[in-house]
Amino acid sequence: MRPVEMVLTVYASLTRHLIRSLLATLGIVLGIAAVVAMLAIGEGGRREAMRQIEAQGVDNIILRSVKPVEGDAQQSTRSFTQRYGITQRDVEHIRNVFENIRLLVPVMDTRRDIFVGQQTTDIEAVATTPEFLEVTRCRLVDRRSRFLKLTDGQVLDPVCVVGIKAARRLFAHLDPFAQTVVIGNVSFRVVGLMESPVGGRLAGQYELDNVICLPIETARSLWGGIRVQMRRGIAEQVDYDFLFLSTKETHAIPGTAGRLRAYLRSAHTQTDYEVQVPYELLQSAQKTQRIFTIVMTSIAAISLLVGGIGIMNIMLANIFERTREIGVRRALGARKRDILFQFLAESVLLTSIGGGLGAGLGIVTAAVAETVSRMGGDAGLKAVVTPESLVVALVVSVITGITFGTHPAWKAAQLDPLTALRHE
Amino acid sequence: MADSDTQPCGQPLIELHGLAKMYEAGGVRIAALRPTDLTVRRGAFLTVMGPSGSGKSTLLNLFGLLIRPTSGIYRLEGRTVSDLNDDATSAVRCGLIGMVFQSFNLLSHLTILENVCVPMQYAGIPHTRMRKRAKALLAQLGLEDRYGSRPTQLSGGQCQRVAIARALANDPSVILADEPTGNLDEKTGQEVLSIFQELHRSGKTIIMVTHNPVYRQYATQAVKIHDGEVTEE
Repeated sequence: MRPVEMVLTVYASLTRHLIRSLLATLGIVLGIAAVVAMLAIGEGGRREAMRQIEAQGVDNIILRSVKPVEGDAQQSTRSFTQRYGITQRDVEHIRNVFENIRLLVPVMDTRRDIFVGQQTTDIEAVATTPEFLEVTRCRLVDRRSRFLKLTDGQVLDPVCVVGIKAARRLFAHLDPFAQTVVIGNVSFRVVGLMESPVGGRLAGQYELDNVICLPIETARSLWGGIRVQMRRGIAEQVDYDFLFLSTKETHAIPGTAGRLRAYLRSAHTQTDYEVQVPYELLQSAQKTQRIFTIVMTSIAAISLLVGGIGIMNIMLANIFERTREIGVRRALGARKRDILFQFLAESVLLTSIGGGLGAGLGIVTAAVAETVSRMGGDAGLKAVVTPESLVVALVVSVITGITFGTHPAWKAAQLDPLTALRHE
Repeated sequence: MADSDTQPCGQPLIELHGLAKMYEAGGVRIAALRPTDLTVRRGAFLTVMGPSGSGKSTLLNLFGLLIRPTSGIYRLEGRTVSDLNDDATSAVRCGLIGMVFQSFNLLSHLTILENVCVPMQYAGIPHTRMRKRAKALLAQLGLEDRYGSRPTQLSGGQCQRVAIARALANDPSVILADEPTGNLDEKTGQEVLSIFQELHRSGKTIIMVTHNPVYRQYATQAVKIHDGEVTEE
């Protein structure tokens, strides 16, 4: 039989009981829909995780000062000053001993409120060095923009570079370059606008577009080397809130991070630091993704097994019902393989239709899940349907059709023509 | 119509040499068809008559290669076809044999045009040519205005005409008809029979199983079967 005739024959057979045919595909539709939707959501989650990790810089190691728990705190009874976190000594040690470190960028949170009118905002002012732009993957926005320079710190210039989101809130429609920002009663002249193209956060905390950067030397000269905040009568002393270490070679990051942790364990008597290694997070995310893929594959396999058994059932019932037709076709000259291919093609067409409908339903489900998750106004889920997932869905549908259609089709082909003709 | 209407018969088309079919039931061998020697010439109109259970259908099914003989040789167009493999048997059924059944055996989900196309599909005839021939055959049988109809929309006589058109689709050497008028009233049966007569006149070889002794008069050759024993009249 010619392929075109085969297609027409199969089409005529399936449309004979359209509702039954569609119901037969239901298992496959739901199975494929679940797989496509979950893959889309999983892929969205993976990409978001990757984006966030990569936004921190895969070649970076980030140290963050962490206030230790009360019992852990080292407190000077004389001064009532609680000192914790990354110290100047740590910075110097790392700079001198760790040969894989290319850039070392300290960041201090000024802990000064930024006002818009009379209202405080969540805009953060941080003091840092000129390499901050590079390690955070930020870029300058306006042609007039420049970032902090070494000379700014040397001459203690009160200048600042403002994140675009902070700039919009502070200056609205005004030209930011003609403005100043008041930080801790000091006016800082805006010399640049910056943005994080990937919407990154400073060590996973502050939104980079909502940050104001000022020279670390200027900040020290204004507020001293110690950031102090009175809380329940206790002063806190933190040399650096963050320390960005940009490495020379990415593959050496795990070793460098291990040595860094060992050094910090020995140098700090309390756990007042945290080491963030985006490279490790990336590897961890990739491992999680592999596990997710295995789980998805398992769910898909179970769904398709159930769907496939449904198809096999329907095909067996079809063949029983159409035994006489098989007899007629054999009497009119059909070979065994014509019957085999006819019923196999019916099975594959059923599962392919199921796969197609399932893929469509999966895309819709993923889109609905994304919309619903964003209704609260939060970032919510992000669903990404990749062409690969659709191809996989369709290929798997076809394979399911072949796998579960072969037995019924073979059974049909083996029917004795005369017995089949006499079937009532 | 009488024998005088028929064409003179030619070379042997079908030759049976000791062809027999035995069945086993409960350890007992039953002869559905005892060893038979028979020659059917090209252009013949052979009627096969006999009481129910005598072996008429067995003989027709052997002619149609729907069952295999237990022993003996069946030659069709000079070629032994009784020992062919399944594919070759199907090819012979497709190209050389046309079958007409008592209960029509049309595929109800197909239009009558599509039904007539079925044997041509298995012969690998291109789609356009196939439909053109199917239309011509249906028109020849007076169904030119019913191409798109389903078998359920037709009368018994019309269905049998479709079945005849289907049997003629691949221009076979022989048409086997198993009581083609058995499900029809007398008038319609007569109409169907006249189609077979017409086909015979045009040179087709026809083998018809029938209960009706009246049809004997239209045949050029007749056999009777009783308990699997074939006797030529």
